[in-house]
Amino acid sequence: MEEQAPPPPLPTTTTTTETLDAATQRKHAAMLDRLSTLQQSRLLSHKPNPTDTPPSFESIQSFLSRFSTTKLAIESDLARIRQSPSDPNPIPDPKSQLQSLSLSIAGLEKFVAKNSYFLPSYEVRTCLKSISDLKQTLDHVTSLVIPKKKFSFKSKPTKKGPIVPTSPTQIGTRNIEPTKVGSFRVPDLPGFRGKENEVLTKVFTGGGLDEIGEFTVSDLVDCEVRLLGCLRALFVHRLRNCRVYVGPVLGSVLIEEVEGCVFVLASHQIRIHCAALSDFYLRVRSRPIIEDSSGVRFAPYCLHYDGVERDLEESNLDEETGNWANVDDFRWLRAVQSPNWAVLPESERISSLEILNPDT
Amino acid sequence: MGLLSIIRKIKRKEKEMRILMVGLDNSGKTTIVLKINGEDTSVISPTLGFNIKTIAYNKYTLNIWDVGGQRTIRSYWRNYFEQTDGLVWVVDSSDLRRLDDCKFELDNLLKEERLSGASLLILANKQDIQGALSPDEITKASWYSILLLQVLNLEAMDKTRHWRIVGCSAYTGEGLLEGFDWLVQDIASRIYVLE
Repeated sequence: MEEQAPPPPLPTTTTTTETLDAATQRKHAAMLDRLSTLQQSRLLSHKPNPTDTPPSFESIQSFLSRFSTTKLAIESDLARIRQSPSDPNPIPDPKSQLQSLSLSIAGLEKFVAKNSYFLPSYEVRTCLKSISDLKQTLDHVTSLVIPKKKFSFKSKPTKKGPIVPTSPTQIGTRNIEPTKVGSFRVPDLPGFRGKENEVLTKVFTGGGLDEIGEFTVSDLVDCEVRLLGCLRALFVHRLRNCRVYVGPVLGSVLIEEVEGCVFVLASHQIRIHCAALSDFYLRVRSRPIIEDSSGVRFAPYCLHYDGVERDLEESNLDEETGNWANVDDFRWLRAVQSPNWAVLPESERISSLEILNPDT
Repeated sequence: MGLLSIIRKIKRKEKEMRILMVGLDNSGKTTIVLKINGEDTSVISPTLGFNIKTIAYNKYTLNIWDVGGQRTIRSYWRNYFEQTDGLVWVVDSSDLRRLDDCKFELDNLLKEERLSGASLLILANKQDIQGALSPDEITKASWYSILLLQVLNLEAMDKTRHWRIVGCSAYTGEGLLEGFDWLVQDIASRIYVLE
């Protein structure tokens, strides 16, 4: 209300203030009358609504009772709908029922908001919490009864060949099949496979058409393997309690899944995967590596047979680099010494291993 | 100076290509890289981590990222996929037992979106080792290509990908230049169209 009283003329004070007071008093009285009539009319307009009684202790009780009855009704409806998949007589249209339930929850929320001006804050908090619980339950029931179609990209079907299973716990107890890669049969590559309790010897003469490229030693139990001469590559797979004595390998040696074995090897690179409780006597030009192994011990090369010095020289392995003690553990990427490998103490080492060439 | 000549100048300066070399462990990736560079390949340790080599090749500069392939560190390959122009997948042709593993990893690589534009060179390494298997040169060549094509199922690859398979030997060095020549030409034709 912007009513500005005219500024009183300054010289005369008493008479003008009196008239001023009277005028402003009259205006004030008029304003108060207006406000009271507004209040009356407001009260009258709200009277027809029976729930909105003037704030008093009883109305809090009535509000709470009304709130709890509505909440129980909604909860029972939700429970009924949730049971409906296992119900012998399914509910005709769960979607519309769920929608009406969500409408009633919204109405309940509005009810709380309208009455919150006289409610203590604790009551308001608890009511709002129970409303949010109801909403969560409604969402849960919706997802149960009407599962949402999840958005996903369609992936192109990929053809995967059969993956060779590798389980280290089944060393030596597997059927040996001829090498089958995918759907293509390959001729068996040279190697010793699937023997038990035997001494297997092979001499590589080297040079000409007889030169064997790579050699595979796999699935042996309690065997002793002797490979004399020069090799280009060696694959060792699934041995148990074996002793493997190999001449120089001009290339790399890959050892997988061995247990309780003794290896005497010389090569340019050695990779040891999944080994347990084994000893390695190595001469390597690079650092040997282990991965997923434990209880492995290392010592220098000690094999002797007729012509070993010449073979070592041909394969560029005649000098002892001391790399047999520089082992990298791929599962232990820390500066501290890895607990999975150790140097074999001198007292327990085989100092020299002599093999007689069977052909001579 | 027109815009076209400015672009031509910029492209002439940066003739760099980024090449990622991956493959199973023991396949010979580091040996290949050092062999191309002319370094000593007999003291190579299995790669724990990765190696980068920058090589001047014809008129291009190749940045070759050679990442270790042991099972534990294969999960780190994805860190190197960004902005790769060429992908080299190295296979040990003498390790038949793990060819299925190799195919599985290669399939995973080819599904990567970040590598979808890269040219693929498959190097069937260690060809020198299989000398005893088939003395006839012709049957040897067809044997390994049939094997690899069937096993790796390369024919089913995405039609938009440029790929080539080359037999090589990191030990003797044969086949390496042939493979990298193709790779560099393929990338250059895709990227540097103004030449």
